[in-house]
Amino acid sequence: MNLATLTMVVLAIALWTYARWRRDGSHWRGLLRGWSTLKSTFHILVLAFIIVGYATVLIPDSGLQEWIGPDSGWSGIFVALGMGTFFPGGPYVVLPLISTLNSLGIGLGATIALINGWAGLSLLHAAWEIRYLGWRFTAVRWTLMLIFMLVIGFLAQTIFEGNL
Amino acid sequence: MRDRTTLILLGVVLALAGLAWNQGGSELAGAGLLHGLWTLLRLSPLLVAAFVIAGLIQVFLTQETVSRWLGAESGWRGILLACASGSLVPGGPFIYYPIAATLFRAGASLGVVVAFVSAKNLWPLVRLPLEFALLGPRLTLIRLALTLFAPPLLGFLAQGLLGHLGDQIRERMGP
Repeated sequence: MNLATLTMVVLAIALWTYARWRRDGSHWRGLLRGWSTLKSTFHILVLAFIIVGYATVLIPDSGLQEWIGPDSGWSGIFVALGMGTFFPGGPYVVLPLISTLNSLGIGLGATIALINGWAGLSLLHAAWEIRYLGWRFTAVRWTLMLIFMLVIGFLAQTIFEGNL
Repeated sequence: MRDRTTLILLGVVLALAGLAWNQGGSELAGAGLLHGLWTLLRLSPLLVAAFVIAGLIQVFLTQETVSRWLGAESGWRGILLACASGSLVPGGPFIYYPIAATLFRAGASLGVVVAFVSAKNLWPLVRLPLEFALLGPRLTLIRLALTLFAPPLLGFLAQGLLGHLGDQIRERMGP
């Protein structure tokens, strides 16, 4: 068992023990909620991981490196952020795909930009944001978020990989 | 909606399998399938732990609890509370955007609402176990370290630069 698995298992046991200590049935309700989410998303996980498998054997390294590789600079971060905004689906689909792209050698700044683009600037979420908060609010938040996410991609590449 | 997602993913899988078959025959098509299923199997203990953690967090925290915390706080304290609440509030966009709209209508400042939505997008507590399981600890920790100050700073900047337009934006946000 690697460190990541061990950490997660220990955290799960600690939270479950706390829930049991509360004596309000939350330990069972929590497990049931987790089981129900896993059951309802399992087929999506299987399909997402098969896509990951095909992406690994099909995507040519050279094209990826050129567009969003570690030496792609600011343009790579910009492209990755743009790609992230278009990624459809929830974390079960998107996170395994981003993990695969990262293992295929795209830059750290581009990987972080992809995650942040999907999480913070998703076009699907923008539709909800405009509907409930109006386009003016959305324009303010998006403009500020876009600048921040570019800077964060730049910092990731510079601090943790030492190049841009 | 869920069925549509499944159908789209199934279509992508079939298209990729066809492409792999075209490029490398049954060997490449089989290799892609096996690689994907093996990766899922390898990560399954992590995923089970992630789902248990996410389930327990959702039971501990309800939308009502989080909305109550935010209340009518304003200024820097309101922005920091909005960040904490955004990170903790469970549910998808159909839940947290209506909450954000209710807060804004009730008089929360522009900065508070920007911080709430940004924290929900960038730091959702329920998604963290999955991020940890699927992206690995290094990537997750680097992303969290770099985005840690983003939601409060976005809130402060929105309030500092455009806070004076808050009432105007609120009045025109629609029904």
